[in-house]
Amino acid sequence: MRGRTAGTVRAVRPDRPLAWTVLAVGVLVLGQGVLAGGRELGELITVHEVTVLAFVVAVTVGELVRLRMPSGRDAAPLASASALAVAFLGQIDGEPVFDVPSGFVVLVVAAGLGIAAVVRRVRGGPAGLDQLAARLIGVAVAAVLTRDVGGDGGSLWDLALDPTVPRPLVATSMVVVAAIGLVVEIVLSSAVRAERQRTPWSAALRDETGEVAPLTFAVVTSGPLVALMAPVFGLASLPAALFPLAITYVAVERYARNRMTYRQTIATLSQLTEHGGYTPVAHAERVADLSVRIGRLLGLSDRELRDLEYAALLHDLGQLSLRQPIPGGATVLAAPSDQRDIAVEGARIVRHAEGLETVADYVEAQTTPYRQVRELGEVVPLPSRIIKVANAFDDLTAGRSHPRTSLAAMERIHLGLGYEYDPQVVEALAVATADAMVGRVQEREPAGR
Amino acid sequence: MTAESGGQSRPPARGTPATTVYIGLVAALGIGLTTAAVIVEGLVIDGPLVVLGFLAVLTWWSGRIVVANNVTLTFSSIVLLAAMALLGPAGAGIVGILVGPLQRGKVPLRARVFNTGMSAALGVLGGAAYRAAGGPPDSSNVIGAWEITRQIAIPVFVADLVQVAVNLVLLAGVIRVAGGAPMRHQMLRLLGSTGPAYLGYGAVAFLLVVLWQPADVGPASVALILPPLLVARWAYLQYAEEFKAHERALHVLVAAVEAKAPHLTGHSERVADLSARMAEHLGLRGQVVADTRVAGMLHDLGQTTLPTPLVRGGENTGGDLVRSYPARGAELLRDLSFLSGSLDAISRHREAHLLEGDTEADDLPARIVGLADEYDLLTAVGTPDGAVLEPEDALRTLGGASERRRELVGALEHAIGRTGGLST
Repeated sequence: MRGRTAGTVRAVRPDRPLAWTVLAVGVLVLGQGVLAGGRELGELITVHEVTVLAFVVAVTVGELVRLRMPSGRDAAPLASASALAVAFLGQIDGEPVFDVPSGFVVLVVAAGLGIAAVVRRVRGGPAGLDQLAARLIGVAVAAVLTRDVGGDGGSLWDLALDPTVPRPLVATSMVVVAAIGLVVEIVLSSAVRAERQRTPWSAALRDETGEVAPLTFAVVTSGPLVALMAPVFGLASLPAALFPLAITYVAVERYARNRMTYRQTIATLSQLTEHGGYTPVAHAERVADLSVRIGRLLGLSDRELRDLEYAALLHDLGQLSLRQPIPGGATVLAAPSDQRDIAVEGARIVRHAEGLETVADYVEAQTTPYRQVRELGEVVPLPSRIIKVANAFDDLTAGRSHPRTSLAAMERIHLGLGYEYDPQVVEALAVATADAMVGRVQEREPAGR
Repeated sequence: MTAESGGQSRPPARGTPATTVYIGLVAALGIGLTTAAVIVEGLVIDGPLVVLGFLAVLTWWSGRIVVANNVTLTFSSIVLLAAMALLGPAGAGIVGILVGPLQRGKVPLRARVFNTGMSAALGVLGGAAYRAAGGPPDSSNVIGAWEITRQIAIPVFVADLVQVAVNLVLLAGVIRVAGGAPMRHQMLRLLGSTGPAYLGYGAVAFLLVVLWQPADVGPASVALILPPLLVARWAYLQYAEEFKAHERALHVLVAAVEAKAPHLTGHSERVADLSARMAEHLGLRGQVVADTRVAGMLHDLGQTTLPTPLVRGGENTGGDLVRSYPARGAELLRDLSFLSGSLDAISRHREAHLLEGDTEADDLPARIVGLADEYDLLTAVGTPDGAVLEPEDALRTLGGASERRRELVGALEHAIGRTGGLST
């Protein structure tokens, strides 16, 4: 599913200023950590070697067992929680008090994230440096808020160490700080993602907060939990306090896996017409892929993108009951009334499954010419208009990605602009295919969080 | 299990007088134990009791989430376990009484009464077990990884075990009194499916206790531990919903067959039903029965890859292409790992049906589907001109010489009998 284009290389392309900036700030934060640690760095590591080792391992492992969210985004709740715990950590039963500057916190977390990135790279996956930088900045914000703001003796960290301060107050403050750190991370990482996928930032942020919000909610309390337990339970608090989050992890993982098999089932349906010789091999997958790319550019929500993907996969299902296959399976060349019949038949079949009604609607409306939207005010969902364009493009190029073929296809589509096709969608198609022509967009969902 | 146990462990809705008596006894046991504990220990109505009591009531809202007949997450066990440690036997009994009757959805009164008695008994006995295993009434001063393990973790684990054991014993009792079959393997299965979950509840309850008392966070610790659990609950809910959606999506495959071959409308469902009943009657395992049902439902999928005129012209046109459709169907589904158990039956149902004589048992699902398919074609789908056979005639046609064949036809007869009308 995922291309092997190097995430690192892509991450530092000069045409992505935001990713660059985030990366640069991340490096600065890291550099500041090294400087602030200064001469003491070696000493700090020696004094806290067990603690540091435990948390570096926790962050690394948490990063390596990332969760792939149903939409294909990655999340690493266990790493986030461990990283935040380092920011809050003070008294630890059986270990020296974790009295370190915030820069040192950043270094510990960066070590864990860095090792994980290297391991992932060695395994052949993308490192996703920009996302790691976003996370590091978020942790740095939390560490500064905890250890530096309020000055010597007045910071949250000092309050936590004072046994006369009520624990619920400490807990609440930690949760608030953790929330701020995570919000910073989410905003930055959605900005980077928006830039990469060329979606509007608002759409990326909306999706990010929509899907990751529950997980964030869980992470926000798990970091403080570790720090609050450590004074009595020592380093054993780390695995113990992360346990509820691990339950969450398992639950989300099952949910995500089920979503994947669901998509596989839909993909199987789309192959019925291919096996019957009605449509060219992989046509449905290509149309789905292109439709999702266009949909992203136009700022569709996650939910809409999913329904769009399913509808695009199933857009030719209605051909199944044709007595004679259309030559080449290319509906763009078929008579309009035949196209409509195919769409209606496909939608009828899809409607047999409760829960796929929206998908069926998208399939049904995919052949309506744009003229009817403009002149007669007919309501045609945007996803249907996208499928119409993506389907036409794939029929005309027959899946070849040669620039000349693409240009010829674009030219033909431009002839139907405003009459057959929605100009806004065609514009997005031009952007999406221009990317494909220079080999930029190879991945369905590139390296994420 | 426990108060919010899965559907299979609930006492039957309509019971004999014996079950009524038994349920009454369990309720009396729970209330009696709680009263005794209150008299012996005394009961202080303090913050923790109020908070845990409130949580016990809240578990009503969270309900339980069931995916494919497995209970995945209930909060009441966590609350009850924490109460055993934080409140002792008397307080835990009270929390049990609160947790028991509150269940979402249609739960018969007798089940609520039974659950109340059971969870009260669980609370008292678990609380006593916690103390007996060395758990102090107040663990605020327990500090250090080892001390916490010894004085909190191990007692919580013991209380957890007692909870599971008492639960099993009381449930086994109700099933026996209700006159159910010997339930040993059902009990074992219950233990197998919910046992790991109970370990998890124990771990979460342990965290809650440590945070509450030694770490001195008090009732606010609930707010720290709840979010991840709520998210897990949310994810399981989504999972449950999508799981169902996914099952429904399989019907689109059937709809595709019917769009291709309108004369087969309803055929797939009937064959699925017959196949499952036959498999059940022949004593196949639960998973195999489910796989056979799916195989019956999707056995004609390969027809969607044949030219439409050929499919609509009726099945007996012959030719290699037509003979290849079962294998084509299996090929289409090859990527769907959750269907792997059904592929063999789908791809071989035609040839297995034509086999005479005894063959090895592992092609039984294929033969079942083949026979069910043939029977339905003869009696319901009929020839292209619409002629159908009476069930008796069809059975006679299908009857064979070998013992295996007779056994299969016997299962088919049984299945038809159970589907109601002979000629649907």
